[in-house]
Amino acid sequence: MNAFDVWVSIVLLVVSTLVTRSGFFLFGHAVKLPPKLQHALGYAPAAAMAAIILPDLVTTNGAIDINWANPKLLAGIGGGVFFLVTRHLLGTIVAGMALFTVLRLAL
Amino acid sequence: MNKETDAGDSRPDPVVNVANAGAPAAAAVLSARRIEKEAFQEGWRASASTIPAVAAWGVVSGMAMVKSGMTLWQSLAMTLTVYAGSAQFAVLPLLAAHTPLIVIFLTAMIVNLRFVIFSAAVAPHFAHLPWYRRVWYGYFNGDISMGFFPRRFPAHTVHQPAGKIGFFEAICYPGWFAWQIGAIVGILLASQIPESWNIGFAGTLALIAITIPMIINRAALAGVVVSGAVAVAAISLPYRLGLLLAVVIGMAAAMVADKFIDKEKE
Repeated sequence: MNAFDVWVSIVLLVVSTLVTRSGFFLFGHAVKLPPKLQHALGYAPAAAMAAIILPDLVTTNGAIDINWANPKLLAGIGGGVFFLVTRHLLGTIVAGMALFTVLRLAL
Repeated sequence: MNKETDAGDSRPDPVVNVANAGAPAAAAVLSARRIEKEAFQEGWRASASTIPAVAAWGVVSGMAMVKSGMTLWQSLAMTLTVYAGSAQFAVLPLLAAHTPLIVIFLTAMIVNLRFVIFSAAVAPHFAHLPWYRRVWYGYFNGDISMGFFPRRFPAHTVHQPAGKIGFFEAICYPGWFAWQIGAIVGILLASQIPESWNIGFAGTLALIAITIPMIINRAALAGVVVSGAVAVAAISLPYRLGLLLAVVIGMAAAMVADKFIDKEKE
C-alpha cells in the first residue's frame, strides 16, 4: 500500500473512532434508533470479531489450513479455553503465544 | 431521587445526604472539587488492575503496526490519534493486502459499532456539559470505561452529575497513557523481533479474549459461529468482502436465533 493510502486510512480510522464513540455524546438527545435495529446492532461487534479471528486461525500464509498441524488454530483454541477458565486478558496472550511457539517449533 | 444526593459515595446506590444543602456557594465549589477528587481516587482503585494488560496490549499493537509494513511516523500517528485497538488490528492485514479504502473504513466502522452501543449508555450522564467536552469524553469511552462506569453509575443516576467526571477521567486517562506508552515501546522494539515469532498473532489472541465476553447469550453465540464460518467460506472473495458479508449474515443469524429462543420460552 502506498504511503498516501496509509495516511488516508489513518484519517478514516480517526473519523470512525469519533463517529462511533462521540456521536451519541454529541447528538444523543436528537437520535432515537429503532429498538429492533439497536437489538441487531448489539450482535454486530461479536460477529465482526469472529469474522476477523476465524480466517486468521484457519489460514497459513493466506491458504486455508484446517488440520491439527496448524499451530495458530491449536494455539487459538488453547488461548480461548485459557480465557474461559481464567478470564485473564494478559494471561491469555502470554499462554497463547507460548503454546503457539511450542507448537510452531514442534509440529 | 434527591438532587443533593452525594454521588461521591462509594456504593452504586448513593445514600441521600442533605447536610450540604444550605452551604454557601464558595464552600459548595470546594466540596464539589473534593467530590470529584475522591471519585477520581475511587475510579483509579477500581480500574488500576487493568493497566498492565492495557499496556501489554499496546505493545502488541505497536509491533503489529510496524510488522504490517507501516513506517515509524505512520505507526505513531495511528496509535496517538485512532486509539481503537481492535479496529487497528482488524485493518492492519487489510492495509497490507492493498484493500480499497472504503472497505477499510467499513471494516473499522463495523468493529467499532460496539462503541455506539457503549456511548448510548454513557452519553446521557454527560449531557449537561458543553459540546466540546462531550466529544472529548466520548473519544475516551472505550472497552475499559464501559466495563466500570455503568456498574458505578447505573442508568437511574443519570441526573446526578456529582463524582462522574472524576470517576470517568480516572478510568480513562491512565489507560490512555498506558496504551500509548506500550504502543511506542512496541513500535520501537518491533524491528528487533524476528518475523518467525509471528508476534501479530498476539493481536488475534487479544481479540479472542475480548470477543468471548461479548457472547452474552445463545443468539450471540449463533451469530459468532455463523459469521466465522461465512468469513472462512468467503475467504477468497476480493477486497475482504467476506468480512462484511459474514457480519451481515452473522447478525441475521443471531436475530433468527433470538426468535427461536423466544418461541421456546413461550
